[in-house]
Amino acid sequence: MDALLTAFGLIFHLNVLWVIVASAAFGMFVGAMPGLTATMATALLVPVTFFMDPVPALGAIVTATAMAIFAGDIPAAMLRIPGTPASAAYTDESYAMSKKGELDLNLGVNLVFSVLGGLVGVVILILCAPALAEVAINFSSFEYFWLALLGLTCAVFMTTEDPLKGITSLVFGLLINCIGIDPTAGYPRFTFGSVELLQGVSFIPAMIGMFALSELLRGAVSVDQQGAPLAQKIGNIFNGVWEVFKKYWFNFLRGSALGVAIGALPGAGADIAAWISFAISKRFSKTPEKFGTGHIEGIVDATSANNSALGGAWIPALVFGIPGDSITAIVIGVLYMKGMNPGPTVFLQNPQFIYAVFIIFVLANLLMLPLGWAAIKSAKQILRVPRNVLLPIILLFCMVGAYSMTNSVYGIIVMLALGVVGWLMEENGFPIAPAILGLVLGEMLEQNFMTSMIKADGSPFGFFERPIAAALGVVTVLIWAMMAWRAATGRRATVAPSEADVAGA
Amino acid sequence: MRANDAINGLVLIILSVALIALTTTFPEFSGQNYGPSLFPRVLSALLIVCGGLLVWRGMAARRAGAPLVAMAAWTRQPWRVVSFFLMLLLLLLYIIFSETVGFIPMAFVTLGVLFLWFGVRPLTALITTVVATMMIYWFFASLLRVPLPRGWLDSIL
Repeated sequence: MDALLTAFGLIFHLNVLWVIVASAAFGMFVGAMPGLTATMATALLVPVTFFMDPVPALGAIVTATAMAIFAGDIPAAMLRIPGTPASAAYTDESYAMSKKGELDLNLGVNLVFSVLGGLVGVVILILCAPALAEVAINFSSFEYFWLALLGLTCAVFMTTEDPLKGITSLVFGLLINCIGIDPTAGYPRFTFGSVELLQGVSFIPAMIGMFALSELLRGAVSVDQQGAPLAQKIGNIFNGVWEVFKKYWFNFLRGSALGVAIGALPGAGADIAAWISFAISKRFSKTPEKFGTGHIEGIVDATSANNSALGGAWIPALVFGIPGDSITAIVIGVLYMKGMNPGPTVFLQNPQFIYAVFIIFVLANLLMLPLGWAAIKSAKQILRVPRNVLLPIILLFCMVGAYSMTNSVYGIIVMLALGVVGWLMEENGFPIAPAILGLVLGEMLEQNFMTSMIKADGSPFGFFERPIAAALGVVTVLIWAMMAWRAATGRRATVAPSEADVAGA
Repeated sequence: MRANDAINGLVLIILSVALIALTTTFPEFSGQNYGPSLFPRVLSALLIVCGGLLVWRGMAARRAGAPLVAMAAWTRQPWRVVSFFLMLLLLLLYIIFSETVGFIPMAFVTLGVLFLWFGVRPLTALITTVVATMMIYWFFASLLRVPLPRGWLDSIL
């Protein structure tokens, strides 16, 4: 209880509240601009939050991402371009509604159900995380090794159309992480005598490169292509939302629950949650023939799911230090830099910090209602900001951000190198998320692997001696076996939408 | 630029072999056959397997008539190709010259050149360049105390 009061004290502070409101506005803008994603918002925020205390820093990230995921729905409805990939699943449906003249209802439903879905996500996070942490407190290096491996396996299994390229991307990320002083013996690996490489590839510049610079490079070649928003007047967006809730409350609950579950799986975040819940909504709908004609039902499912997934992703991140999506991957990187290693011990030693995260989550979702309304009302002005002005400014921001992480041009070099690598990877169908997870989890995986090897004296059976370790190990090995079997029989081991699904949706 | 998977696989295999070659210089510890080289070697071996599978798949695609390298549509429009490389070039110039020239002049050049190339009207470009450079300098250098290089303007700032 004391901790809870301390947490309130940490948050209801003028500085912290100011940071939360400012990052909310920033998140709304980035989310609403097509081509700028929620992950990019996080990557751009991190250099700024780096100079803050942990609570406002996390508050900024939580708020900005929650806003960005909702704001992505606005251009989806008005331009038929999703503002973030998380809105892609129902962009066509939203646009069809707008063309029928139901733009107001669509935006109202998106806003209200984003808020509600986000709140469901927080509630489940609050209920699950401390309970799981109590279990996790007894884990040793064996359990953490299997958990990290299971997390990485999930990342490949969940996110990619093409498991082979997913694994390649993951191994590549893990190898980048090998650069620098190795965690057990302290020997500098692959540094070629460079002092700056001793501490490894700087994580945040790498992130800015892979998520922001690669996106800017893609944007640079289409800078003159800007969509024109529908010339509809926006009236009272809350008209009719209550009727939708009464009719589709089950869809809302199902979408939110599914979103949390998918968000909690490592590697899969809001975008996959939206795709899957939209597909499930259509599958179990009483009127599946209406889908595609501007029908609200699937949107209720999916817009709740992508916001609840945000909360879900924090469950494994806070409890085990294993990110649930690429946003929490960045968060974990930030926590490590601040000397707070995420894991069950944080729940014991710094419970006020965990409560602070919970409170910020609730606050951010409540704040979304008025700010989202304001964003919708000013959507036409936001969408008119010319891309040819925006892109160079973001580039400069990335440069300064990467520089400020190392206080030298080394950060910019890392950003440039990994930005080009990230761009090449995307062009060739290698997903970026597994590489980032490899980069974040690599050290944890190697450290626990080496410690376990030393403890077990090199015997592989040591990895299966403790009951939880054995269970985790068997599950991991089973998933591998299943993936290998599916690959051998030629079936796709994936749940992500294939191109055929996208075309048919 | 979408290269055939055989090329991607080959690049990965060459990279992994080079990494394994580098690990041979790592020290071993007596009485323990797992040192700093173990983890990179396991990963490199995995990457070789992935690379091999990619080559195999790429060859199959090649036999089915897939091209070695497929260029995206924008690469046939010189204006877009220049836009792409201009961003990289400006980044490179910043990396090389920012320490001597300083942040403000380099940011000015980076923004100005990109704005004009992207077709922003000269007056708007000028105003936005000045305002954006000053805002970012103020925010990072004054507020967050990042030591952005002063360079030529050292005596004024």
